[in-house]
Amino acid sequence: MTSLKAPVWTWEVPAYFFVGGVAGVAAAIACAATLAGGDRATIGAARAIALFGAAVSPLLLISDLGRPGRFLYMLRVFKLRSAMSVGAWTLIVFSGATTAALVYWIAAPAGPIVAAGLIVTDLVAATTGLVLATYTGVLLGATVLPVWAERHRTLPIDFGVSSLGAAASAVELVAGTTEAMVRVALAAAAIKTVFWLVSLARREPAVNRTISRATLLAGPLALGLRLAGLAWAPAHAAAALAALVGSGLSRFGWIEAGRADAASMRQ
Amino acid sequence: MPDGFFTDATLCIGCKACEVACKEWNQVPADGFVWTGRSYDNTGGLGHSTYRHVQFVERIREGGPAWDFSSDVCKHCERAGCLEACPTGSIVRTEFGGVFVQPDICNGCGYCVVSCPFGVIDRRPDDGRAFKCTFCYDRQKAGLKPACATVCPTESIQYGDLDELRARADARRDALAARGVTDAVVYDPRDTSIGGTRAIFLVRGSCDDYGLPAAPELPSVRLRAGWRSAAGTSLLMAIILAAAFLV
Amino acid sequence: MPGLGTTFGRGGATTAQQDLVNADAILIIGSSMAEAHPVGFRWVVKAREERGTLVIHVDPRFSRTSALADLWVPLRAGSDIVFLGGLVHHVLSSGRVFREYVAAYTNATFLVREDYRGPEDLEGMFSGWQQDARGYDTATWQFEVDESGRPKRDQTLTHPRSVYQHLVRHFARYTPEMVERVCGVPRDRFLEIADRYTACSGPEKTATICYGVGLTQHSVGVQIIRTAAILQLLLGNVGRPGGGILALRGHASIQGSTDIPTLYDLLPGYLPMPAFGPGTETLGRYLARHRTPSGWWSHFDRYAISLLKAWYGDAATRENDFGFGWLPRISGDHSHQGYWLDMADGRMDGLFVMGQNPAVGGPNAALERRALANLRWLVVRDLVETETAVFWKDAPDSATEVFFFPAAGHAEKAGTFTNTQRLLQWHEKAVDPPGDAKSEAWFVVELGRRLKTIAAADRSPVNDGLRALTWDYALDPVSGEADASAILKEINGWHVATREQVVGFRDLVADGSTACGCWIYAGVHPTADRNRANERQASGRYGHGWGFAWPADRRILYNRASARPDGRPWSERKALVWWDETRQLWTGHDMPDFPVGTPPSYVPPVDATGAATIAGDTPFIMHADGLGWLWVPNGLKDGPLPAHYEPLESPVVNLLYAQQDNPVADRRSRPDNQWSRSPDPDFPYVLTTYRLTEHHTAGAMSRTLSRLAELQPALFCELSPALAATEGVANGDVVSLVTARGRIQARALVTARMTPLVIDGHVVHQIAMPWHFGSTGLVTGDVVNDLIAISEEPNVKIMESKALLCRLERVPAQAS
Repeated sequence: MTSLKAPVWTWEVPAYFFVGGVAGVAAAIACAATLAGGDRATIGAARAIALFGAAVSPLLLISDLGRPGRFLYMLRVFKLRSAMSVGAWTLIVFSGATTAALVYWIAAPAGPIVAAGLIVTDLVAATTGLVLATYTGVLLGATVLPVWAERHRTLPIDFGVSSLGAAASAVELVAGTTEAMVRVALAAAAIKTVFWLVSLARREPAVNRTISRATLLAGPLALGLRLAGLAWAPAHAAAALAALVGSGLSRFGWIEAGRADAASMRQ
Repeated sequence: MPDGFFTDATLCIGCKACEVACKEWNQVPADGFVWTGRSYDNTGGLGHSTYRHVQFVERIREGGPAWDFSSDVCKHCERAGCLEACPTGSIVRTEFGGVFVQPDICNGCGYCVVSCPFGVIDRRPDDGRAFKCTFCYDRQKAGLKPACATVCPTESIQYGDLDELRARADARRDALAARGVTDAVVYDPRDTSIGGTRAIFLVRGSCDDYGLPAAPELPSVRLRAGWRSAAGTSLLMAIILAAAFLV
Repeated sequence: MPGLGTTFGRGGATTAQQDLVNADAILIIGSSMAEAHPVGFRWVVKAREERGTLVIHVDPRFSRTSALADLWVPLRAGSDIVFLGGLVHHVLSSGRVFREYVAAYTNATFLVREDYRGPEDLEGMFSGWQQDARGYDTATWQFEVDESGRPKRDQTLTHPRSVYQHLVRHFARYTPEMVERVCGVPRDRFLEIADRYTACSGPEKTATICYGVGLTQHSVGVQIIRTAAILQLLLGNVGRPGGGILALRGHASIQGSTDIPTLYDLLPGYLPMPAFGPGTETLGRYLARHRTPSGWWSHFDRYAISLLKAWYGDAATRENDFGFGWLPRISGDHSHQGYWLDMADGRMDGLFVMGQNPAVGGPNAALERRALANLRWLVVRDLVETETAVFWKDAPDSATEVFFFPAAGHAEKAGTFTNTQRLLQWHEKAVDPPGDAKSEAWFVVELGRRLKTIAAADRSPVNDGLRALTWDYALDPVSGEADASAILKEINGWHVATREQVVGFRDLVADGSTACGCWIYAGVHPTADRNRANERQASGRYGHGWGFAWPADRRILYNRASARPDGRPWSERKALVWWDETRQLWTGHDMPDFPVGTPPSYVPPVDATGAATIAGDTPFIMHADGLGWLWVPNGLKDGPLPAHYEPLESPVVNLLYAQQDNPVADRRSRPDNQWSRSPDPDFPYVLTTYRLTEHHTAGAMSRTLSRLAELQPALFCELSPALAATEGVANGDVVSLVTARGRIQARALVTARMTPLVIDGHVVHQIAMPWHFGSTGLVTGDVVNDLIAISEEPNVKIMESKALLCRLERVPAQAS
């Protein structure tokens, strides 16, 4: 049997997968809320989370590099064939757009040029943000480790939806529960639950315990708590926490799965 | 132009001179003094500090013990997973057809490590960069054979024009078959997504015994489907967000 | 190497590794050639893959050599004479003898004295046993001679006292059934091998035997090699392309260190070291004793006197016996075994250890380490701090003063290697040695200079030899190193008056007008500016022009035997050297190992001397009779023919003879060198040792290098799954190996490459261990030679390390 190499990535990478995903969707939330004239607290929280993620993500990535001083070498080339390259550029553009959007937003009363700039940067940040939330699934899917490669279609969905729920929850925890955020979180939890039910029905074996727990947290548990929240508001906060923890846990679970996959071939 | 390796495992005597010469020429550090108890293989496999690895396959053949040796190496794929994955452009194709990691550019992102269908390239922990067989690019430049092929005492490792080597491998397999050695097979996975390798092998028994996958796959073949899925998900998320604020 | 020396005339491999491709069959026995000689093994692989040569490997262990062989035959360690004797028996009884070759080129036709009795008659002993001396009087082993003193012959080979008929009777017991009972090789398997090997001999075919220390390190080592030599002579496989016996020497220049010996009983060029006692007081007596009336050794005086002239220069005169009296004399057992026991008993003051690591590599190494503590001083010169240099760390009471000198590696100095096939190859210095590291030549030259200074001051007679010694090597003003090529020039020899180099040993004379440091090397530096060891223009089948093979660049020894008595090749396919009728000389693919102008029909006149005594149809020119010796009347201490004796520690009783083990071998039994019984219920398993490709001998040059150390990082023992099951041992477990001498620990490598054998109806297990490990270096392990006993084979005093008895014990996890 071919003995494949285990991923060398340390905790920073799954952490980045999570933080980047949350930040990306948060930027999209900020964009949508701004366009829809949502409440300022939600918009502010979403922008802050996006900016925080845009700042932290590169640090996490750099710290995982074997040669952190060479982070900028990522920008020597742009390679469509490399999900890592696409992701690096996406992160760069996202960080720039998010930062610019925040500046424009704060300066928004200044006039129409600024308002137009806000819309453009918001759209760029939202687009790259959504890519940021999903490309990590593409990145894992386009590798040789069977546990990832076999799921190259579902991983982007899994990562994206999980980021969606986590971002809505994060915004909610910062800015307070709003109807819009509850709707987003409900949708995300519902989709996760459907996936979970489908895999149960298909009797698919669990990838590992971390992923199982993460799925339960972000899927059925979060959904249940959200439904409970309709009757009893404090349950929303618990649902948000479950979605966030579940989302984060799942990234660690997937890296762990890759490592175990490689190890199983090195008997 | 010499641009390929042919490792004829039926000539290998398991002396590991290739491992030593490779490490010496390329100044590869030691990677542990661990006795494995797996035949005479205390190297374990190819990796960040092992560019040639002699495999020891003990088995029973025709009622008696048999011991097959094969010197494994980076396959230098025609379409290389590591090269495609590399976000810095550190991994390049040389004029000799080899896949080469430029050590002054690699930033150790580790993506190539999980993109090699043969499990060859790896990141050296204390150094932080990814390493693998260089095809002795520096020697090639100087018109020399790679170190492993130079020291191999039995010409088990041959270096030369790939088409010539392919013909030699087929001829050798047929000659062995004529002599009654019917279980020798040529490993040359051309009809796969990697489009062939520049290191081909002749081994006895199953290729799987030597960790040579029957159908090595280029990981980027799944990119299109992956991106489509990501785009769909992004769109779905956009719709959900729009709906959440507009409804 | 008296096994080859007595049979053929010279103690060296008769062939070259490149010649293996010309063989139709190669029998590798007592060697894992692929492991210990991987580069030379390329010729075996080439022969098998490109020419279809049959490769047979006979060894207790399925090794990397077996993996590339057509046939692997496991046998019980120490039963080699029965296996090879079985082949001899097969040849004799199945009509496979190359009769024309045997009748013409061997002493098969000679008649043995009537009063000779052999193992058939004497329960395994030969006639002439002297109980008090624990040795043989060889008088009865001699040939029957006619009035002129020449041996009587029977060309028909039918005379009952002919050597040939003696062979037939002697080997009659060595049947396939006996091979099965003693060696554990099933009868049918043996017959298959015997048929296939012997079918590869005759006028059109040849076969080679390769061996290593797996044959030599036995209490009957020389006689095992004798059996192989007899087999090759009977098959007509000596002196012919693809034939012969390839003695695989243990490491670089081991052949060189027997040619210019580090042995106690030889002078350079295989001249015997004079012993203390009657018969060697004067040069005249010494020469009379060793110069033969005919054959090449009739020139013994030329070589001995030229050597004395090289050493003592102008001080060596006819009047003072050319300084013969200054040579040291053998006064006891100065073999490795002998002097280490002397050391253990406090009878030695000092020791120089250069390029050796006896604390790991010596037999009964624990005894040897203890012995070092009894010295007053010890000098160790090596590349690294060896176990020998730091023995005192485990000997707190030792008062030995230890001097450790860093040595230059071979790339850090110039000089020659003499490889396994007698080929001298010069190597240039590539880099300066680091720090204070110096070459051996520097050390010895410097030591000599200082001793000579002392001798110059102290003019007592004991120092006469030292004062007379020529020691005028020019030293490099910067490094202080002597010029190695000057030493090689002295070895080659020169005309004393003109200082012109001799062109070959034919130039040497016995009147003191030539000097030569080693006569067999004469010709390596034939002019002041031509160093043939440094030539790299290979041409022809044997690569003449690349290096220089002694003697006289002959690559295949005794190659006159490749032609029929009338001078034509035995076959076109096997043509090597032949008589050119038109040019009236010997010619061919190799330098003729024969007087080049002596025609095949030449019969020496009665009054001939020197080379003129060599008849035109006698290829073995070092022997007085010019023949290959199937029967050895002189020169061996344990019989004119090989007889099987069990190893000194054996799991079985001798099934061939009542005599259990070699009566002339010496156990050197003492409290610190104990022996098990044979068989012994406490030590039920056979222990044999071997070498790995990844390490070099006692490990100083490999355990200290990460590249090699990581390939084999720990000591292990190989055992069969059956034995592992019996002992409850799993692969990778730590186990103890115990012999009557000591106990060590190792990891268990359980492998089907080891197999139990059925010996006379009983299962015998064998355990094999590499012996490279010690306490220093990057990887360490117990010293396997702590298990080995000091013992002495009678002819060369080698220890028996390849067949001993041991037991295996599991080590509880917490104790390991």
